[in-house]
Amino acid sequence: MAMPTSTRPKPFLEAEYCKGCLRCIDACAKDCITQGEHVHPGTGMIPVILDLENCNGCQLCIQACPEPYGLRPETEREVSSADFELEDPAALFGPRAGHLQEPQDHPGTEVPISAREPLMLKGTYASAIGALLAGCRHVFGYPITPSTEGAELMAKILPKLDGAFVQAVSEVAAVNMMYGCAGAGLPCATFTSSPGFSLMLEGISYMIGAELPGVFINIMRGGPGLGNIAPEQADIKLACRGLGHGNTHGIVLAPATPQEMLDLTRLAFALSFRYRNPVVILGDGYLGQMTGVVRLPATLTKPGLPAWAVWGDLEHRRNLISSILITEVDLEAHNIHLNEKYAEIEAKEQLSELYRCDDADIIVVACNTPARMAKGAVEVMREQGVKAGLFRPITLWPFPIDAFKPLLSHAKRIVVVEASPGQLQDELRLALSKAELDHPPISSVQRYGGKLPEQVEIEARIREDFRLMEDARTMEEVKA
Amino acid sequence: MSVIYDHFERHSHGEGLKGRSTHYCPGCGHGLVHRDLAESIEALGIQDRTVLVSPVGCSVFAYYYFDVGNTQAAHGRAPAVAIGHKRANPNSIVISYQGDGDLASIGLAETISTAQMGIPITVIFINNAIYGMTGGQLAPTTLMGQKTTTSPEGRTKAMGMPLRMAELIAQLDGPVYVERVALYDAKHRIKAKKAIEKALRIQAEGRGYAFIEVLSECPTHLKMNPEETEAWVKECMEPIFPLGVKKDEVVEPWWDAAQTPNFEPEKVLALVGASQEAPTRHAKGFPLHLGGHDISFKLAGSGGDGAQTAALLLARTAINEGFDATNIPSYGPESRGGTSYADVHIAEHEVLNPGAPDPHVLVAFNAPSLTKFAPTVREGGVIIYDSTVVEDLSSLPPLASGVKMVGVPLTQLALGLERPMVKNIVALGAIQAVTQLFPPETFLSTIRMVLKDKPALLPLNEAAFAAGLRHASLTHA
Repeated sequence: MAMPTSTRPKPFLEAEYCKGCLRCIDACAKDCITQGEHVHPGTGMIPVILDLENCNGCQLCIQACPEPYGLRPETEREVSSADFELEDPAALFGPRAGHLQEPQDHPGTEVPISAREPLMLKGTYASAIGALLAGCRHVFGYPITPSTEGAELMAKILPKLDGAFVQAVSEVAAVNMMYGCAGAGLPCATFTSSPGFSLMLEGISYMIGAELPGVFINIMRGGPGLGNIAPEQADIKLACRGLGHGNTHGIVLAPATPQEMLDLTRLAFALSFRYRNPVVILGDGYLGQMTGVVRLPATLTKPGLPAWAVWGDLEHRRNLISSILITEVDLEAHNIHLNEKYAEIEAKEQLSELYRCDDADIIVVACNTPARMAKGAVEVMREQGVKAGLFRPITLWPFPIDAFKPLLSHAKRIVVVEASPGQLQDELRLALSKAELDHPPISSVQRYGGKLPEQVEIEARIREDFRLMEDARTMEEVKA
Repeated sequence: MSVIYDHFERHSHGEGLKGRSTHYCPGCGHGLVHRDLAESIEALGIQDRTVLVSPVGCSVFAYYYFDVGNTQAAHGRAPAVAIGHKRANPNSIVISYQGDGDLASIGLAETISTAQMGIPITVIFINNAIYGMTGGQLAPTTLMGQKTTTSPEGRTKAMGMPLRMAELIAQLDGPVYVERVALYDAKHRIKAKKAIEKALRIQAEGRGYAFIEVLSECPTHLKMNPEETEAWVKECMEPIFPLGVKKDEVVEPWWDAAQTPNFEPEKVLALVGASQEAPTRHAKGFPLHLGGHDISFKLAGSGGDGAQTAALLLARTAINEGFDATNIPSYGPESRGGTSYADVHIAEHEVLNPGAPDPHVLVAFNAPSLTKFAPTVREGGVIIYDSTVVEDLSSLPPLASGVKMVGVPLTQLALGLERPMVKNIVALGAIQAVTQLFPPETFLSTIRMVLKDKPALLPLNEAAFAAGLRHASLTHA
């Protein structure tokens, strides 16, 4: 009696896809496959040789072949058009199942909210509520003083809104959860403080490379190292010049009040999605903890889904989130694209507040909480007849040089006030230099280690600058 | 296989043979696991739900091949990225595909913590006992005595013994299914395929986290031909990394794949505590009699004195009257005890500088706070101190001219109400008496507002406020 013949398809091999690893030989019980002898001219490999006389179609050789287009069942053999007159498969069968359409942008919507009484909020809470109103329902974080309250509020509220707060094993994990969530196209944020922000920089570089949105609320504390938990502004350099390795930049926003913590956090999400780039909010430890009046906006955002998202559905199946471009020409093109994006941001997104700058002889430059002390000092000096003004950059990158430039026509002195050893001043100087602007002498009020510049120190510095300014004028007059 | 692209466009733009060949070396196990994964995705009908996270290592380019949503992660972070995807779209099927350096070395923290979370994702772990992409260095799974480029004399004890990940993961509570499989012969390849499909099914059914470790071949860096490598995996690796199911729990589906975030304004506003009810205003105007358009306070004590709560109430009171106010707390790293003080500003229009280096009003709950801050109080200012705990004023440093000292037995008055914790509310009563900041009703309505959800505490707090007000009025008068 003849053995029943198998109906399973036998294998076939296109020699150019065989790397000659020989794993199939061992798998075949019928010894149908042998090691080849001739190098394939197209691949430099020696493909195996099939002799299928004894083949029973067991397919074990196919399962042993690591190449997807190596050994395959006969049924998958593609017939060449030379052999047959083929009809268009789309006309014959309709579109292939799961056929991919071009993914579309599904824009978000602004939903009106009824008027509310002002809230009294600490800065971290205001920022958290700003994120909620911006449509953020996913926060990933790791506890660190003095930013933790933002995460705590999110942990309380997000589950009630069917979102998620995930406490990660570290900041490193947290930023990579953001990478995943942002890759899926949704708004997400984290609350952190200086040492935690350092740990997130690697992930931020990947997010910039992969062009992913995400909002990082960094409540700066004293450093370097573990430092302390008091306010400092010494992450300006990191945020403006050091967002991880490679060619990176991100918009850096510096709020000065709890109200701005809310407003700028909302703005951060919008900018982050507009440019597909992380946005950093730099607050100081005072601002994180400071309570103040906060008014709510007129709308909240219901986010959409961008065309580029890897959502995990048919529409977005073709998408890829990645920062690797292995060939030089591709990576160079990507960097040129990023540079164009940075240039557009620099041109369009500068923000600043000018307080009594119009006729000012002495321009005080300060951001975050020190800008409030500086504002107090400007007010006092004005009462004393000194024409001082406050220039407050709200975007630290890009530095709002366009708004600063006109002040140079009348400014005689510049005083940079900051809780860092000149990191804000460096941003100012770099912006002046890049814009090729001449500028008057720059002096500074700097405190470190958790101390903020005090109003009286700023007043004293302005007074001294005023004296230097008067001396210079006298000299000019004598010369004349 | 419809889950593998017809043409590998991402592999050197699909040029030449690269359009249909992988970037893997001859005999590498990755291709086999790719096939198992692709076939399993197809069999389960989840292609249009799947997100594959590619790692760093030889499988960094897994996204060249799989026709699913693709994300490429930083080295070791694939499980964290997977959690991000799964949380964003709970209906997606998320696969974290990783090698031994990625999963068991640099990404160990993410690996363990993600496994313990137990959120339904599928981790495919390719263990070939060596680093491939970087060129044959020591892996956490390298065998004892095995020579690599960074263990040229063979792995020794001080380099650490090989890490058995499947066993390690299986002893966690989070995962529901953990199995180690191999690829070295037909029988084991069939088992591997089954395990991968099962791991994906567990996720698709919302049952939990599954981890499949695959003992795989790296002929290139083991410097053997593929056949010898298969034998090496069987004879040398398998005794150290025994195959089999390490954990298989029956867990009912629990993951809510349909969860979608809520954006209803009313719900959001309720959760953030935004009210439509305007607070009643009692004041006729800003208390200019205290010396300007901006009044600063410092409240200082030790942790637990309630200085922070009193400061918040003070600021809230001014805001309820339609003025601007700020409060900056300052305390040490201790959760309880240690120093604790707060700066409050109340301004008619805008608080410019929220710090209070020279306050108009100081409230000192203890002697060290009084000694430290009394000299900072500005000319003509007021100091309220707890006369229960500060009995001796002789050692006090000199004060600015015209500073008034008002001793109020805050602790004693609070003890009179049998609740020492309300001494901060007693202090607010004293502030009211001494400064006439706003009408007393302003403070009381703020206290009522704050205690809206705890009405039982209201009588006590009202009594505390009244006690401080009464006592300080008498002393101050």
